Amino acid sequence: MTYKTTEENNITTIYLDGEIDMEVGDKAKEAIMPLLDSSNEIHINLKDVQYMDSSGISVLIESHQKASELGKKVVLKEISKSVLKVIMMAKLEQIFNIE
Amino acid sequence: MNFSKFADFEIKSSSLKDIRDFSKKVFKENQELENEQEKLILAIGEAAQNIIKHSYENKKSSDKLRLQISCDDNELTIDLYDKGKLTIEKNVKSRDLDDIKPGGLGTFFIKQVMDEVIFSKSKNDDWVNHLILKKKIIRL
Repeated sequence: MTYKTTEENNITTIYLDGEIDMEVGDKAKEAIMPLLDSSNEIHINLKDVQYMDSSGISVLIESHQKASELGKKVVLKEISKSVLKVIMMAKLEQIFNIE
Repeated sequence: MNFSKFADFEIKSSSLKDIRDFSKKVFKENQELENEQEKLILAIGEAAQNIIKHSYENKKSSDKLRLQISCDDNELTIDLYDKGKLTIEKNVKSRDLDDIKPGGLGTFFIKQVMDEVIFSKSKNDDWVNHLILKKKIIRL
């Protein structure tokens, strides 16, 4: 998995690229979580994530929960079809902010 | 459609990608399974992850896990064998979806995808655990 971040209009966007499983879950978490300290709104762009399992979903849940605790916002953007299927299997489409 | 393919993988998280790639290759060779492959690969990946996390407690080992994918007419059977800590089925729980927290979704996903999930002790001394995942294949 690789990633890059951009910042525009006080929104930090992190673009994740690759497959997110247990091997890289910690790396994804380490990339996303610090952004919540420095930014009020984080967009996690998933268009180039070809695979995500429960490890990746856990990272999304953690970031969503941390954002709520801090009064901040995490938005999932351009979710790939395969990742959306997994999110919906876990019935999290109602919980996450998805655009 | 009848086939059976297997491969052994090292017990480490970086093997999960190899496991997915092997599974993808098997499903691609059998067109009738291609439509289901995303969900099947997810189930296989979660099962393998559970072996690494729970049977081996994320510790390095020189052991291997075996993944066997077989199809016998209309039923797909996925067998996973490992030599880790014996799995006690009653200890394998998926979390309640309303209890939103990180973790606990792997087993839930496996049960969502597969028609049957059977935890058993291996019938031979080569392995300790034998997880059997079954799914009926609907031909259109």
